[in-house]
Amino acid sequence: MDSQNAIEVRNMYKQFKVDYDKAHTLKDKLLFWKTSHVEIHEVLKNINMDIKKGETVALIGTNGSGKSTLLKLMTKIIFPNKGTVETNGKLTSLLELGAGFHQDFTGRENIYFNASIFGLTRKEIDERIQDIIDFSELGEFIDHPVRTYSSGMYMRLAFSVAINVDAEILLIDEILAVGDQHFQQKCYRKLKELKESDKTIVIVTHSLDVVKDLCDRAVWIYKGELRLDGDPIYVIDEYLKQVAIDHKEEKKKAIAEGKHKFKAAVFIDAPKDFATIQKDKGTLVSQGWQISDHDQAVFKFFLDGNEICGIKRKNRQDVFEAYQEAYAGDMDPDAIGWQVNLDLNDLDLGNHKIDIQCSEPDGNILADKSIQFTLE
Amino acid sequence: MHIFKDIYDYRELLKTNVKKDIRGKYKGSFLGILWSFINPLLQVVVYWIVFPYLMRGAGGDNYLVYLITGLIPWTFFLTTVSTGTTSIKANAGIIKKVYFPREILLISQVLSGLVNFFISCIIIFIFCFAFGYGISIQILMLPVVALIQSILILGIILLLSSLNAYIQDLEYIVSFLLTMGMYATPVIYDLSLLDGAGVLGQIIRMNPLTILVTSYRDIFMYHVWPPLKPLGAVALLALVILVIGYAVFKKLEKGFAEEL
Repeated sequence: MDSQNAIEVRNMYKQFKVDYDKAHTLKDKLLFWKTSHVEIHEVLKNINMDIKKGETVALIGTNGSGKSTLLKLMTKIIFPNKGTVETNGKLTSLLELGAGFHQDFTGRENIYFNASIFGLTRKEIDERIQDIIDFSELGEFIDHPVRTYSSGMYMRLAFSVAINVDAEILLIDEILAVGDQHFQQKCYRKLKELKESDKTIVIVTHSLDVVKDLCDRAVWIYKGELRLDGDPIYVIDEYLKQVAIDHKEEKKKAIAEGKHKFKAAVFIDAPKDFATIQKDKGTLVSQGWQISDHDQAVFKFFLDGNEICGIKRKNRQDVFEAYQEAYAGDMDPDAIGWQVNLDLNDLDLGNHKIDIQCSEPDGNILADKSIQFTLE
Repeated sequence: MHIFKDIYDYRELLKTNVKKDIRGKYKGSFLGILWSFINPLLQVVVYWIVFPYLMRGAGGDNYLVYLITGLIPWTFFLTTVSTGTTSIKANAGIIKKVYFPREILLISQVLSGLVNFFISCIIIFIFCFAFGYGISIQILMLPVVALIQSILILGIILLLSSLNAYIQDLEYIVSFLLTMGMYATPVIYDLSLLDGAGVLGQIIRMNPLTILVTSYRDIFMYHVWPPLKPLGAVALLALVILVIGYAVFKKLEKGFAEEL
């Protein structure tokens, strides 16, 4: 193994046996050892990669592409069927937080248990315990039994231990889903800190912004094979293109089978619900956005039940980016926004209602939204 | 030696696991750690009341002390082997999630059993003094015999626990064999009762547990040095089982996370 590398994967294959009727008992094994039908599912095929010391690498891919399995192979919880996975340096995985917590013991005692699973000695834990407690923000609860904790507190404690272990290699699976916004940001800052202190970090995540911001390199696993490996911005772009293609194809297939359920989302940015508008302003600009995966979706705007024509379409890059995975390949960024100018002079004082809806050509409503405003 | 380095690196895990086993076992119960005294005592009382009636001449000089010096070492064997066999399955949660040397689980199982055994030895001493047996220089052999027993147990549970992850019937078979094993070991009866038993008597005399239990009695009750030859044979057997058990364990451990 090259001493520059933290992780080396060579010609690695991993299969899972999908056992439909798993023989767990001796009787089953003896009786059905020939008949049991086992399907071999190849999860990873011929993976080769080097991760250098100090690199921050993201594994991206759709659900079921095998990226979490790859991470598990790196932690040595499971082992490859062919090829090798080698690691160099102390390794911590944040795959599953809170493994080995014992409900009846206090948070402080559990820090010792949990940290010892990561291979720390008593002295090393003693040195870190204050940092861990501070990071978890548990305060006096640290001396209460863990069974009294809320799930958020539990996760915070577990994360604090894992991230303060000071491993040379950190393997992280979707961790930024821990705790509230404040704690997530704190974790994020800590990760950046670790990155700067030359730790090797491997992250599996679906949040592509994190990848762009944090990682030096992205590795895209597509259907069990390594598809692209390189600068995050390029890899993510290619990944999204592929997602869009797959998405379209899947949709086509589902439509052909009559199983696809179209979806849409609509939003009104202005006016705000229950807003009060001065009549002497003359015109009211109402705007928002609308997306759908139906290419002939119809968008309609109603004021007090009457359809209004003259909807202008606008570019909404922000919405496009937010939905680019969920609605991959279905959106035209220039036609996401909508705007309607309402002439207030024709309207009476009092309450009015705006309805918008996005529907299929046959009238089936996919999404709608309504707001009220008061004219004075 | 990779094994020893691994275990040394994870010594804190070993320590906390043993602590968790000993303290966690009785946590929440009113009498706490006292239960590890009360349990064998109650058992002894049951046998003490029942058996002299069932079997005339059970035991020799003092049946109560005879019972206790056999039952406590046997309990050490019984509990560690039965919990050890299921310990890979019972720890499926962490095995699927975190990497650590899996053998730590079994080593800590044996260590906590050993600690419990040494604590229980206090009961033996109390009885020995109460019935006028006292204590002698042969007590120096106690750690040696306990070590041999621990090695034997470790080898057995390395083998059984890894097999049990794949074939879960094993734990039921083991629990049956353990129940039988108690009658194949002179825990509640005296070996002299088997004088006319032929082959069965031979088998029971060759049972490694028989040799261990009689060695404990030699140390505590009879104050003679336990015969070294049979004890050495048991030690050798224990080492052989340990090597085989470890090899099987290492072979099978790679599939634990997927099998469980």
